[in-house]
Amino acid sequence: MISIKSLSVRYKRSGVVALRDVSIDIPSNKVTCILGPNASGKTTLLKAIAQLISYDGVVEVNGRDARGIISELRRMLSYSSTLEELDLLGITVLDVLVYSRYPASRGFFTSEEDLRRVSEVCEMLGLSDLANRRLGELSAGELQRVVLAAALVKDPKVLLLDEPDGHLDVYSKTWLSSFLREISSRVTIVLSTHDPLFASMTCDYYVVLSRGRVVFTGFHDELLRDTSVLERVYNVSFTSISIGGLRVLIPLNQSAYRGKLVRQ
Amino acid sequence: MNSKLRLLLVFSILLASTTLPILYTYIVTLNEGLPGRIVMYRLYRALYTILAGTVLATSGCILQASLRNPLVDHYILGTGSGALFAVYATLLVLDHVTLWIISLAAAIGGLSALAVTILIAESISGSDIAYVLSGIGVTSLFSGLSVLLLYYVSSRYGYASLMLTGTFIQSRLENLPYTLLAAILVVLGYVVLAKRLNVIMLGDDHAAQLGVDPGLTRLLSSIIAGVSASIIVSQFGVIGFLGLVTPHTARFLLKTSDNRLVIPLAMALGSLLLFTTDTLSRSLVARVVGEVPAGAVISAIGAPFFLVLLVRRFRGGFT
Repeated sequence: MISIKSLSVRYKRSGVVALRDVSIDIPSNKVTCILGPNASGKTTLLKAIAQLISYDGVVEVNGRDARGIISELRRMLSYSSTLEELDLLGITVLDVLVYSRYPASRGFFTSEEDLRRVSEVCEMLGLSDLANRRLGELSAGELQRVVLAAALVKDPKVLLLDEPDGHLDVYSKTWLSSFLREISSRVTIVLSTHDPLFASMTCDYYVVLSRGRVVFTGFHDELLRDTSVLERVYNVSFTSISIGGLRVLIPLNQSAYRGKLVRQ
Repeated sequence: MNSKLRLLLVFSILLASTTLPILYTYIVTLNEGLPGRIVMYRLYRALYTILAGTVLATSGCILQASLRNPLVDHYILGTGSGALFAVYATLLVLDHVTLWIISLAAAIGGLSALAVTILIAESISGSDIAYVLSGIGVTSLFSGLSVLLLYYVSSRYGYASLMLTGTFIQSRLENLPYTLLAAILVVLGYVVLAKRLNVIMLGDDHAAQLGVDPGLTRLLSSIIAGVSASIIVSQFGVIGFLGLVTPHTARFLLKTSDNRLVIPLAMALGSLLLFTTDTLSRSLVARVVGEVPAGAVISAIGAPFFLVLLVRRFRGGFT
């Protein structure tokens, strides 16, 4: 369980306050979604949990201050965002996965155990055929899967994903959604996304940020019961529809659709 | 496992192809009944080309991986000319110089030049091209200053002008401790850094969340790569592009970017290339036009390689 108490982040260089007094509890073995428009502090919150930036306040993991258990945290927690400009040195998919075992890998050379876990993850994410390809040769969707695989090779207990659905087409998004739901029984997942539909397909628990403050926390039903919070934050209307027993969020731009669509 | 075996095979072939000719040379010269001094000279010379090749190739691997930049080596980043300038300046200022002082000066000069290149490159976007441009500026500055100093230095130290393009013509026993020191430094660097450099290549955030401090690793890498290459410059002069060509060739042969495999192969390739070049220019070319410095030959091979890399960089990707 991750518990965040009065977390504030101010970027020293720009003086911008990215997060103000954030206090949330993130449920274990569930998919938690951080929603919010651009510059609301989503990435900053994920980076603070991952101990990649300095902050005021406390992040507790299993009841212990995260600052005190850094090396343990590096093994049990993965943070992943995009991989950029990696084709330059001839890095292959296999390379990325082997290198990302770093905190869990013993000895100087790659061990049998490392390779076993890497091929297991490749299998899980359908990357086995791409293993020897260089990153520069992959499509954006394939690269996104490599990013996810890199986060999984050290067998983490907590997975922090910054916009895992970026650059994905519709098929890949639905695939990712069901994949994350499937592994969430073993891993605590926290993700940020711009897409309310993807969020409502995937997540159990929601944290909505607006200008660095938490404006809503609650489970799926609570968020969809009253969409007024999201409407205020995004300045867009939302409707929720039920498909196959799952209620999902659909954004509607009122001014664009006024007169053309009848909302219930 | 397969790649490790392949590496071992390539490595042993390269090792054999570099060491066997030396043994051959040794035996042949003994049979010819040549005086011992010539035999020893040739042995030192062969040993130094091998060690210098190892050092410069490793230095290139470490710089490319830590800066995440395929277009650099110690020469392109200005370390070579910075170290040379420091050597000339020391020869000019001090009356009594020892190789120890010269090596120290070269290390300071080389590291300072590297720091200036990195600072300028980071202030103008920090892209791989920014590093090349900034490096060209710093290299030009120190090369120019070196040539100016050479007018005064060469009157007292004739061999100084040979250092502009690296040569092994001055191979003596006195060079051994410094050349060995540089070699030990890069081997230590390999053991300590190879695994961390792999992680660094994936980006700073990615490295940090895996528990590798990007800033610290980059600092340590720059110091090891910069100091070791500068020491080689202080003994034999500037040999450019060797550290650029060998890592790329090793990555191409191994089909991986893994520094734990790339660095040993680059070491073997570097020593092979430098030994072969030096031996050919000493034996074959010398008969026709007189001895050509090995550094000049390597540059003639390496610079077109660099240009090809540059063109491919702008055509998109290195595939």
